[in-house]
Amino acid sequence: MILDHLPALQVVLPLISAPVIVLVRRSRFAWLMAVAVSWVAAAIAVMLAIRVADAGVISYALGNWQPPWGIEYRVDPLSAFVLVLVAGTAAIVAPFSRISVVAELPREQEYLLYAMFCLCLAGLLGITITGDVFNLFVFLEISSLSTYVMVALGQKRQALAAAYRYLIMGTIAATFYVIGIGMLYLMTGTLNMADLSVRLADVTDVRPILAAFAFITVGIGLKLALFPLHQWLPNAYTFAPSAVTAFLGATATKVSIYVLLRFYFTVFGTTLLFRAMPTDQVLMLLSLLGAVTASLVAVFQKDIKRMFAYSSVGQVGYITLGISLANTSGLTAAVVHLLNHAVTKGAIFILIAGITLRTGGASGFDRLKGIGSRMPFTSFGIVIGGLSLIGVPGTAGFVSKWYLVLGAIQRGEWIVAAVVLASSLIAAAYVWKFVETAYLTKPDESSVKAGEAPLPMLAFAWFMVVLCVFLGLDTSLSVGGARAAADFLLGGLR
Amino acid sequence: MTSLLAHPTTALFLGAVLVAILKGQARSVAALVAPLLALWLVWQVPEGIVWQTHFLGVEITPFAVDRLSRLFATIFSIMVFSGALFSLNQTSRLELPAAFVYAGSAIGVTFARDLVTVFLFWELMAIGSTLVIWSAGTRRSYAASMRYLMVHLTGGVLLLIGVTAFIAETGQATFGAMTPHSVGTWFILAAFLVNAGAPPLSAWLPDAYPEASWSGTVFLSAFTTKTAVYALLRGFPGAEILVFVGLFMVFYGILYALLENDMRRILSYSIVNQVGFMVTGIGIGTEMALNGAAAHAFAHIMYKALLLMSAGSVFYVTGKRKCTDLGGIFRTMPLTAICGIVGALAISAFPLTSGFISKSMIAQAAADRHMTVAWLLLAAASAGVFLHAGIKFPWFVFFQKDSGLRPPEPPLNMRIAMILLSVVCVGLGVFYEPLYHILPYATDYRPYTADHVVTQLQLLLFAGLAFFVMLGWLRRTLTISLDFDWFYRRLGPALVRIAEAVIEAGRAAVRTAVFDTMRAVGAWLVARHRPDALLARTWSTSGMALGVMLILLAYLVGFYVL
Amino acid sequence: MDRHWLTRPGTIALLWVVFVLVLAGTVVAEAFIHRHAHFEVTSWFGFNAVFGFASCAVMIVGAKVIGFVLKRPDTYYSEDGDD
Repeated sequence: MILDHLPALQVVLPLISAPVIVLVRRSRFAWLMAVAVSWVAAAIAVMLAIRVADAGVISYALGNWQPPWGIEYRVDPLSAFVLVLVAGTAAIVAPFSRISVVAELPREQEYLLYAMFCLCLAGLLGITITGDVFNLFVFLEISSLSTYVMVALGQKRQALAAAYRYLIMGTIAATFYVIGIGMLYLMTGTLNMADLSVRLADVTDVRPILAAFAFITVGIGLKLALFPLHQWLPNAYTFAPSAVTAFLGATATKVSIYVLLRFYFTVFGTTLLFRAMPTDQVLMLLSLLGAVTASLVAVFQKDIKRMFAYSSVGQVGYITLGISLANTSGLTAAVVHLLNHAVTKGAIFILIAGITLRTGGASGFDRLKGIGSRMPFTSFGIVIGGLSLIGVPGTAGFVSKWYLVLGAIQRGEWIVAAVVLASSLIAAAYVWKFVETAYLTKPDESSVKAGEAPLPMLAFAWFMVVLCVFLGLDTSLSVGGARAAADFLLGGLR
Repeated sequence: MTSLLAHPTTALFLGAVLVAILKGQARSVAALVAPLLALWLVWQVPEGIVWQTHFLGVEITPFAVDRLSRLFATIFSIMVFSGALFSLNQTSRLELPAAFVYAGSAIGVTFARDLVTVFLFWELMAIGSTLVIWSAGTRRSYAASMRYLMVHLTGGVLLLIGVTAFIAETGQATFGAMTPHSVGTWFILAAFLVNAGAPPLSAWLPDAYPEASWSGTVFLSAFTTKTAVYALLRGFPGAEILVFVGLFMVFYGILYALLENDMRRILSYSIVNQVGFMVTGIGIGTEMALNGAAAHAFAHIMYKALLLMSAGSVFYVTGKRKCTDLGGIFRTMPLTAICGIVGALAISAFPLTSGFISKSMIAQAAADRHMTVAWLLLAAASAGVFLHAGIKFPWFVFFQKDSGLRPPEPPLNMRIAMILLSVVCVGLGVFYEPLYHILPYATDYRPYTADHVVTQLQLLLFAGLAFFVMLGWLRRTLTISLDFDWFYRRLGPALVRIAEAVIEAGRAAVRTAVFDTMRAVGAWLVARHRPDALLARTWSTSGMALGVMLILLAYLVGFYVL
Repeated sequence: MDRHWLTRPGTIALLWVVFVLVLAGTVVAEAFIHRHAHFEVTSWFGFNAVFGFASCAVMIVGAKVIGFVLKRPDTYYSEDGDD
């Protein structure tokens, strides 16, 4: 039945919609197609998640070739969680994207952006759903290549440079990854994750495995912008079209984090490398450095897009920190922050898209003086999102931070707990910078004159803002899902 | 969930929204009705657990009622009402809504029976109170509110670490009596003490409170420190360390208040002093002592608000806040002066005032436990309270030399608020039974014995004699006294400046490698994070690629060597 | 300018006389009431009067001493731009 093929449809629908869009070439059709595809994808993701919660892990053999020979699609609590996150974000970003795309892109390029959007969505969903490490590489390339194009569509000259740099770094990352899995294949003769995990436990010569581990860690670390491998991110986010930034900011690094979790806990889980090697300590140190340094850098930025891009690097640090703690609370924090940060940053970047729409693309703080009275809903939404980045109680960010601190304390890492909380004070500093500009500075002749962002855009953004508060108050779904995923991952370690 | 509608905090939060939206008469009505509604709700809700739920994986009890919570919620509601009445003519549109959120959060703490909810309201209280200070709208108040927020965010961090550690240790989050013997409980105690104005972070209070508007300080005086007293009463009754902390606060408050020239800073130091009495009582820990601490908190909120209202009225009509600029204004402001004196007598615990019937319970508890030194220190401190708040405040503000000022009385609503609180202060001193009846523990304590009245009068009146005899020693000067805030207002910035100066000097001298390194280290933090700095600047592609290679190499080498 | 009756020298002298009488009264009254002192020292006659005066004198002097170290002009922090 068609329901049995949901895992395949999850990826195939967005994948085939891209060539259709390119063939038709009409921008309005392209947009409608992108909206339809992302909504259907979101619906499928939710259905899959419900089925996983009810009936356990779904294994789907693509083309009926049984794993480990054929390609397996596998939906477990963690991948279900990430699927909902990615498809859900796409479903929210796609509808409003038209407003900012029309404003920012030449008409003849519009359909291209939607095609790339669908491709990217297919790639990200594919990475999440596949149970095959090489298939994952293919999807990684699909999502990466489409992302480079989307960034390059940005209308400032720097967008090309940013896309180029992202391309170089992304290619290095993909190469490292493929070298890593090549070594794994040499040692085990399989590419299926579950199979790999079983066979790796029996491998006696551990040196090539170590090398594979290093290559994959650095490769994925690059993609998820782990400090200090984050240099590609701020420019890519700053110069990409606003709708793209909103989508990527909420999803791209999150999917890479998912891959890291998958490798650390599922593929390498049985080898106990994660605990045997000082990987967790290295990761912890880098995460803390990233969280503190990137937040400090954010404080000194003069452009709001760049500021929140650096804030993303810092927030990724919290997620990887949760991973490095490797206990239930830490992993719950990591997984739930995937969602909470996606919602928060999604809201913020949509609202910023509204601002750039009104400023004609400018996003420097000098243009935003007194914006609090010109665009009250936009500004207030950013403030609430900012509170969530700080981790103020009552917002989604607090829930993540809570579990992170709890995980650190349970591991006896008092200093880590203290640094996490201290770094949230730094976040308060950069959020305050926006408050000061928006509410406490008198507008001058260079500041924005126009009024509020278009209603549809505001509506979608505020949906996410409200979600951001809701997730801070009712944690049964978010933390419930995250805890299930964390337990599932830790189960792989035993 | 529907029980949340019966939560007094809900009434105040709704009131905050209404007061923010409405204008004119409707706003005044909302401002006065919301606190009364809250007070009514406080007495409508039955004792016991009203609402329990799960949050963040632990069972939490955001709404539960017992005698202690009802006592504090009652006085907090009365206080919001009086404060709202007093500040009806405040022109700032922000202050009253902020004060309602602030007070509503304080009431939220009193009904919370789990540490997670306490933390949530604790943070909200910090934000609300910061906005109250901020809404004064001056440069000074802005700077002070930022320093205030900094201290309270630090306190919030301490509390969050404490609460999570407590949950990690015990697996549950119930807020009940604890003993400070684990990391978690120590952090929680420290966070409570920060808000109580205990050393070493006590300077936030006299630094920030006097910078609020003439009405803002009235609100501020009531909630933060007294919520901390409540939290200590519930969380750490009988923790011995509190006796020492409390006694320190008592004398710290007196000595600094004696040196102070700004009338509202005098009263702010006096808050620390009064909270010190309560903290000492909590540390003594007997039923009598805890009753005394609770009763004293109740009485203190009323008379301290009255004192600050009278000071606020003077500030409102004269625009002056320093004792050296004031004096002799009892001629044209007799009502304000009389109300101020009533508050001063009450804080000094004169017989027939509210301070007498509350403070003496704490002293009695010390006597019952044969704590001679503590008792003597408390007695000396009682005399000292009369000295610094009881006489000094009214004397230097309303009497002393004639400053030539002839200000009018404040507007009607402010006068009514002061008269109301004066009546309460005296009324509680005479008819103390109702208050004793709602204290946490049943008591048959009788404050009015001939012995007690006579000895108290002796103590206070001879303290007064000392004041007038030694008046020359107390002459007001245009000074402030350094406090702990010096460390973050002066020493910190100075160290940075010194570091910069040293680095600059080094650079100007021979530019040797040594000095360049020093400079690099000195400028490390700021320089690295500026947009053009190494970590923030856009790296060249080859640079990035090289970095990646180096990291891979480090991993590989690390794995093989280790 | 017309002096307020409270500020006339005669009134002030009278107030002092009344004050001293009240002070004496409180000490004398001690002889006529039943004392139940909590501690040895507090049972001494007039203890509270002496203690009240002495402790306040000590506190005033103590504050003065602390003042020598900690007092600064009240414009001390204004140089930071806080004013």
